[in-house]
Amino acid sequence: MLNNFIFIVLPYAALALIIFVTPYRYFSNRLTWSAYSTQFLERKTLFWGINPWHYGIIPVLAAHFLGVIFPGPMKAFLGNERNLVIFESVGLALGLFAVFGCLALTLRRVNTPLLKQVTFASDWVLLYLLLAQSLTGVYVATFMRWGSQWYLHTAVPYLWSLLTFNPQIEYVTDFPMVFKLHAAGAFVIVALLPFTKLVHMLYVPFDFLKDPPILYRWRSK
Amino acid sequence: MNVRAQLVMVFNLDKCIGCHTCSISCKNIWTDRKGAEYMWWNNVETKPGVGYPKKWENQDIFKGGWIRENGKLRLRAMGKGPTLFNMFFQPNMPKLDDYYEPFDFDYSNLYKAPPGSDQPVAEAFSQISGERMEEITGGPNWDDDLSGSQVYAVEDSNLEDRTLVEDYGRMFMHYLPRICNHCLNPACVASCPSRALYKRGEDGVVLVDQDVCKGWRFCTSACPYKKVYFNWQSGKAEKCIFCFPRTETGQCNACAHSCVGRIRHVGVLLYDADRVEEALLKPDDQLVAAHRQVILDPRDPQVRESARANGVTDQWLEAAEKSPVYALIKEFGVALPLHPEFRTMPMAYYIPSLSPVISSGADLHELAIHGTIPLLEKLRAPISFLASLLSGGNHQIIAESLQKLIALRVFKRAGSLGQPVLESTLKEAGLDLAGADKLYRLFTIGGYRERNVIPTQQREDLDSYQRKGASGFGILKKTRGPK
Repeated sequence: MLNNFIFIVLPYAALALIIFVTPYRYFSNRLTWSAYSTQFLERKTLFWGINPWHYGIIPVLAAHFLGVIFPGPMKAFLGNERNLVIFESVGLALGLFAVFGCLALTLRRVNTPLLKQVTFASDWVLLYLLLAQSLTGVYVATFMRWGSQWYLHTAVPYLWSLLTFNPQIEYVTDFPMVFKLHAAGAFVIVALLPFTKLVHMLYVPFDFLKDPPILYRWRSK
Repeated sequence: MNVRAQLVMVFNLDKCIGCHTCSISCKNIWTDRKGAEYMWWNNVETKPGVGYPKKWENQDIFKGGWIRENGKLRLRAMGKGPTLFNMFFQPNMPKLDDYYEPFDFDYSNLYKAPPGSDQPVAEAFSQISGERMEEITGGPNWDDDLSGSQVYAVEDSNLEDRTLVEDYGRMFMHYLPRICNHCLNPACVASCPSRALYKRGEDGVVLVDQDVCKGWRFCTSACPYKKVYFNWQSGKAEKCIFCFPRTETGQCNACAHSCVGRIRHVGVLLYDADRVEEALLKPDDQLVAAHRQVILDPRDPQVRESARANGVTDQWLEAAEKSPVYALIKEFGVALPLHPEFRTMPMAYYIPSLSPVISSGADLHELAIHGTIPLLEKLRAPISFLASLLSGGNHQIIAESLQKLIALRVFKRAGSLGQPVLESTLKEAGLDLAGADKLYRLFTIGGYRERNVIPTQQREDLDSYQRKGASGFGILKKTRGPK
């Protein structure tokens, strides 16, 4: 029952929300599409929170995606023991870095009175959810060794089975609870993405790298 | 030649009385809302002073504007690669303390306070947190009229001799009203990773597209004039919009319209967009001359033809011919750009203020030629100060402008007092009778439509059927009607 909920209901609900709500928000309410920075009001703690968080979580997240997109090459790469040890160590370090950053960001929200005006329920939900998510991630990385390897043989085929609308949850149902929490957290975050300021993730500015510096807009052209 | 039109404002600092009416009319129209309390799209500073935000002119702190590097221009703060890696924490962004914590007063306490032995007072509260503020420690014009000059005015980076503001005999001040300069080479536009900032092709107004802005905050520090503000409520950038809903219909900007001293002139300039970068590569002290070269003569048939090819309408060409700002900036060369060395090519120009001669000790009222014209070195506001502010350090340019202003004043004064009028006074300063008359009218009796020549955008002439027929008056979104 719980397995069905976590591994079938949640991911498809999340998928449906991100596919339908994101364009709706884009076309109907783009004014709220912002990274919603609070650097203006508080910057000292932010530096120690926001940088570790982003520089920790982005490579870890990218590694998760790499496993899904290129399972074959990743298996070959991590078949080498030395590669595997280095990969896991770097991953764990980055994970701890992200946890540190997320913790700093949470404490910052708690301790800075000025930030109350720009802190909404969604901010607390996201902060605690992301903190829990990175903590379970670090736990899995520490106590369920060689995750980068078994991930490719369990979670990755399961995720592919989701995408082909033929969910095979037996790949992942026998894992301990903490792994299931990690998976459930991931799906909830994806589901919340189009409703919260997480939408800033969907916009990575690469266009400006090739554009000329000054942008003109002509009404007539 | 790639001729474009630009709406430009000229400020006559000699006439500014520092009343802040412009700031108030701007605030009432545009920034009287949550998240924008601390924004002063138009503000008035006392010079010497630190300005708003504090020390905005010091680019070692905020790293705004452009620098020359290997024969090219680049943003002082960082290139495009580092921009990507500084998106989470923007290191140069001005913080709330560089502005001030916006406040209001709780007037309800004046009549709601319970009976007591003390007179009730309206206590200050923060407009951000809503909490009571024990002490107000800053404001948009905290150093107005040189108040706290030993703390603030001495920090003015244009001052060569800092003891000046401590010496009553030599002290001077003038006001500096500032809006967004709607630059020809805007650093804010170049710094935006989302490409939310843009320059309008038709009138050169620089705007932030609120739909596109993602709040990466690079513009707030890339603008060397600190005229892009971060709205803490919406998480997006906002700036002066040159009152485009007013200028599009031929009305004057709210700040210029409400100006008590009538110090502002608004009009059209034609410029050569292809020569902007080349001009900005000149050394600091040649930048004003380079500015003037980029600005084109609206009477030149070649310029007019090229402008028409770029879609500049006849109405705009006519306005460019009558433009008061063209006269002040290029024809007479009295109006100068604010800090041209930031290399954004600002399109707000300033006529330097005259000041009394220093009267200290033996050389009391030492005057030069004709008995009434003061020596420029004896003016209270040092030429070096004005040059640092308005000409990239070029003393000659400031001197030429001041000489014209003084000559005009002496000439007109003699005329109105019935004294012998010496045309040579004008000649020596580079003016003639007709020019003096034109300047005199612009500075004094010229009316609203003479001081400001603003052509409309003529939107209604372009596609009236489609605009009215297919989209009604809700015109913000593009229609899918027949092309």
